[in-house]
Amino acid sequence: MSPFELVEPRSLHAAIHLLDPDDASIRAIAGGTAVMLMMKAGVFRPRRLVSLRAIESRFSGVETGPGGELRIGALTPLAVLERSAVVRREWPVIARTLATLSNVRVRNVATVGGHLAHADPHMDLPPVLSVLGARVTIAGPAGERTVPVASLSTGYYETVLRRNELITTLTVPLQGRKRAAYLKCTIRSADDWPALGIAVALEMDGAAIHDAGVVISAATDKPTRLAAAEAVLRGASLDEATLARAGEAAAEGLDIVGDAHGSASYKKQLLRVYLGRAVRAAAKGAA
Amino acid sequence: MSAVRRTIRFKLNGEAVAAEVAPHANLVEVLQGEFGLYGARESCGQGLCGCCTVLVDGHAVSGCLYLAAFADGAEVVTVEHSASEQGLDAVQEAFIETGAFQCGFCTPGFVLMTRQLLAEKPDPSEDEIRHYLSGNLCRCAAYPEIIDAVKLAARRRKTAP
Amino acid sequence: MKRPTQPTETPQVGRSVPRLESQQKVTGRAEYVHNLRLPGMLYGKIFRASVAHGRIRRIDVSAAQAVGGVYRVVTSDDIRTLLPEPYYGPAFHDQPILAIDKVRHVGEPVAVVLASDPHVAEEAAHLIVAEYEELPAVFDEVQAMTSKAIVHETLKPAGTFPDLKHLKGRTNTNVALDFHLRRGDAERALATADHVFEHTFRTQQVMHTPLEPFVSVAEPRESSLTIHTASQSPSFVRIELARLLGWPENRIRVKVPFLGGGFGAKLYVKLEPLVAVLALLTRRPVKISLTMEEQFFTLTKHASTFRIKSGVTKDGRITSRQCEVWWNGGAYADIGPRVTQKSGFTAPGPYDIEHVAIDSYALYTNLPPAGALRGFGIPQLVWAYESHTDLIARALKLDPIEFRRKNILREGRPQATGTPMQDAAIDKVLERLGVLLDWERPFDRGSGTVRRGRGIAIGFKACISPTTSVAMVNVSADGSCIVYCSTVDMGQGSDTAMAQITGEVLNLPTEAISIVHSDTDVTPYDMATLGSRSLFHMGNAVRLAAEDARAKLRALAAEVGLTAETPIADVFRKKYGMQAGNVIGTGSFIPSYTPPDYATGLTPNATPFWMVGGTGAEVEVDTETGHVRVARLVNVADVGTPINPKIVATQLSGAAIMQLGFTLFERMDFDAAGQLRNASLAEYKIPGLLDLPREMVNEAVVAEQRTGPFGAKGVGETGTFGVSPAIANAIEDAVGVRLTSLPLSAEAVYRALRAANGEPLPEE
Repeated sequence: MSPFELVEPRSLHAAIHLLDPDDASIRAIAGGTAVMLMMKAGVFRPRRLVSLRAIESRFSGVETGPGGELRIGALTPLAVLERSAVVRREWPVIARTLATLSNVRVRNVATVGGHLAHADPHMDLPPVLSVLGARVTIAGPAGERTVPVASLSTGYYETVLRRNELITTLTVPLQGRKRAAYLKCTIRSADDWPALGIAVALEMDGAAIHDAGVVISAATDKPTRLAAAEAVLRGASLDEATLARAGEAAAEGLDIVGDAHGSASYKKQLLRVYLGRAVRAAAKGAA
Repeated sequence: MSAVRRTIRFKLNGEAVAAEVAPHANLVEVLQGEFGLYGARESCGQGLCGCCTVLVDGHAVSGCLYLAAFADGAEVVTVEHSASEQGLDAVQEAFIETGAFQCGFCTPGFVLMTRQLLAEKPDPSEDEIRHYLSGNLCRCAAYPEIIDAVKLAARRRKTAP
Repeated sequence: MKRPTQPTETPQVGRSVPRLESQQKVTGRAEYVHNLRLPGMLYGKIFRASVAHGRIRRIDVSAAQAVGGVYRVVTSDDIRTLLPEPYYGPAFHDQPILAIDKVRHVGEPVAVVLASDPHVAEEAAHLIVAEYEELPAVFDEVQAMTSKAIVHETLKPAGTFPDLKHLKGRTNTNVALDFHLRRGDAERALATADHVFEHTFRTQQVMHTPLEPFVSVAEPRESSLTIHTASQSPSFVRIELARLLGWPENRIRVKVPFLGGGFGAKLYVKLEPLVAVLALLTRRPVKISLTMEEQFFTLTKHASTFRIKSGVTKDGRITSRQCEVWWNGGAYADIGPRVTQKSGFTAPGPYDIEHVAIDSYALYTNLPPAGALRGFGIPQLVWAYESHTDLIARALKLDPIEFRRKNILREGRPQATGTPMQDAAIDKVLERLGVLLDWERPFDRGSGTVRRGRGIAIGFKACISPTTSVAMVNVSADGSCIVYCSTVDMGQGSDTAMAQITGEVLNLPTEAISIVHSDTDVTPYDMATLGSRSLFHMGNAVRLAAEDARAKLRALAAEVGLTAETPIADVFRKKYGMQAGNVIGTGSFIPSYTPPDYATGLTPNATPFWMVGGTGAEVEVDTETGHVRVARLVNVADVGTPINPKIVATQLSGAAIMQLGFTLFERMDFDAAGQLRNASLAEYKIPGLLDLPREMVNEAVVAEQRTGPFGAKGVGETGTFGVSPAIANAIEDAVGVRLTSLPLSAEAVYRALRAANGEPLPEE
């Protein structure tokens, strides 16, 4: 690693102004796990790192808003979210997802905002937050804007964030009647990056599926909503035939690229299988 | 290639210390270079093996991915800590009795992570043990013995006065 | 920790003593080279080749040299001012300290940057530019036999091995060793056999992955060099550096503390010649610590192809077997030729077969070098012959245990080389596997999308020979005792075992005995810590040294008119009038050996002892994804009589789990140009706690190695032997498909299932 200037502004406002929209060698650092990995690999050689660790404490913490929605400060470590009683009670799918996200040390350090801004398509939270309809608040020199998590990533390690914008808050609407599950499939060791991640949120109407949201990750270059599968599931009864049709609909027409985790055709098979398993898990309210 | 070094002050194993660190120095380098503490060691360099585990403000972190500058003002604890003051603790004794290591290179990380686990969950199930420690690798694969060690340490801690 | 020192009547051998160094290891205070910092030390960072095979056109180090804080940049030109022939290697002098003229694999060391700050060295190394004229490259071991791409223009055998002499000066070949064995007439027997079976099996290239990566430090002195190195073979390092430098051995001192894992990676010489010449060029201490990534370019395990053909009678007797094995040695021979020959001895498996033909070839290719990895080639062979054995049993509708029972080598019967089997409990291992697997009981075969199956495999190994170990035992005037031996404790527990053997002879508690770690100025010669040889060879040497010390103590007691039972301290006090003096016992051990006849490969004495290991696996296969879950793994071994039963069990278990990684998912993934795509633990996965079988059983059968120390023999590799084929056999038992290449990935299983159903999955 090569030396850089490390600055620690005391406010979000100051942090934003220490960033530069035209300079890729200046970046924000929060927990720093991803940034450190990139620096150690030599793929990122910063001129300046803007530490967010000393900015206003209101950007760290978990609380519920007036509408019952979950509001998470971007600097909240993933472990704090994982342990939050309100998250475990009202958004259990988030707590369960966090329990198998990377490892304990990463969760202790990595922050919610950093996790989302990093935009590695193999990450676990973006598909889950997407099916839950979560959104992020983004602050920049010109003020704030709100973007759904589902449209935050634009590709491998790419987001809609400008270089001088920072995620400040993650807001997750009340899960309410939605039942959700996230399953991931690893191919090599159990702690490998997933070959496929799949998040499903269902609204059930008795034994029938009233509404469904399906988002996959890892097999595509960004978390991707599977509208065709959702359409099959919507209004259908939860049985083998429906799940098989939804699996086919999901696999068909989706652009999946083969890599070390598996060929494209194999990943499509995983998608067919895991879609059904994830829907069942969501319906059961477990997993 | 010169770097503006800064002074960081922190508590290291209970003692107030200071060090001059480069901005790009990681915590393991500073513990080794400035304080002669080698229990946390870099192996995979990616936070995946756990050999570099250090506690910062009571939380386990991968020291090789943690900028030393971020330890300013923090409380840092390494595996050497309890050994220097109270002798071996229940976790270390359990690791010895169950033979839960071979080459020993990953052992400090497992010991620290086990302490964290038992602080959070005094009576972990085997599944919880496997998951909590899944971010630590042992190439000698003393894993069955490590599971035994965690269970033994949990029992010992419960019966200890 | 309390350390008793009083003499004891309690037997020390057979006790599960916790490792002597336990406290140091759990407190993070155990000594590794990793921890070493010397005043004025420079850190070296290696610049590595980016092409698999290329002539070096130009190396531009100017930008690196100009970086502030860089002490010096070194290439082979600088090294040749010191050494005209800077090539090293245990079997061939084929490996340049830094690349000369050509590079032969991606990641080969080309230059080194030295700086006091390792970050500076690393950053400057990025600024080195090398230009290559790319040459045709060869990566596959079978293609290497006939490829026009030649890795080494001329073969340069080291001259230490008589069976390599005929290769000297040979050109236009990639064959670094060919080993042939002929016993009976396999060709004719196959022609007349009731049934003939032929299969080809492959294994992939994998890496040892010790968590302490390679690290060496050279410290220049007035007229000598001290090398601190994470090495399994300090004596060899000294001898090889002495040869390279043209110095007497006594000017080179090699010190080795604990190793953070070895598994065969840290054998012979690796970074030592490089740090040695850098220290001589700069007159400063130099340390090179590889990263995890760099380990992948340093030493690996051979990929292999094994074509095996058997003739079998109607009633299931194997009468003939032909074995052709091609070993992918990568760009430098390292110890590959030894792997080729020594494992060649046992290629037909632990079976009593009248007609045998073996052809085994070590090949150069343009991949990172391959050497020994926990089994010296045996796991590759067992994978093939035990998969093959199972296929035959299935085809003949014979129970796999019964089929093996009918064919295994029994005590006294000649093995392929003609050497009679002695103290090899193959039958016991097989029978015990059957019992532990409850083989006769009905087996739950699963249902729906989860199908269950079970399989077994047995393998054996001839310990490498001839090799020497020498030890000293020093008894001080107070009766305390120090053992000097060059066996390196890399986690296998050798310190503890040597102390137990010494304690047994001298009636001292194991915990009271100190072990001096390898230091070639202090500890006597040992061939190396490899191939599960140390407990047998060094264990015998230590036992002899302790017996020598005991005899001298008794003689001393007699000399001063005391009985043999007199406490040692009293004997010394009477002799010297105060607490003074010491007694040194020495022991040297070299077992007998007859090299194989060059033409036939036969020898009446191939090995000092046989290692036998078997594995039973119960698996669950997800028929929709191909995922294999090992529900139960049973490892049974003949380890002779264990010196430390607990450590033996953890060795068996650890070896089996390591092999589980090689079986299910570990694989170095090269692209068509020989670039490694997964040189990190993020992309090269090794087993973690969540990958363990749900249940494991590890057991040593009741056995005795009569020539071993207190009946013991080596165990470090035994647990690896049967794992891969047992799992493949269990997969076929579960879902009816046979995989012939490792690893047994979920996708490979799923593809085989689809192909079996007549609906193959598209390639892409």
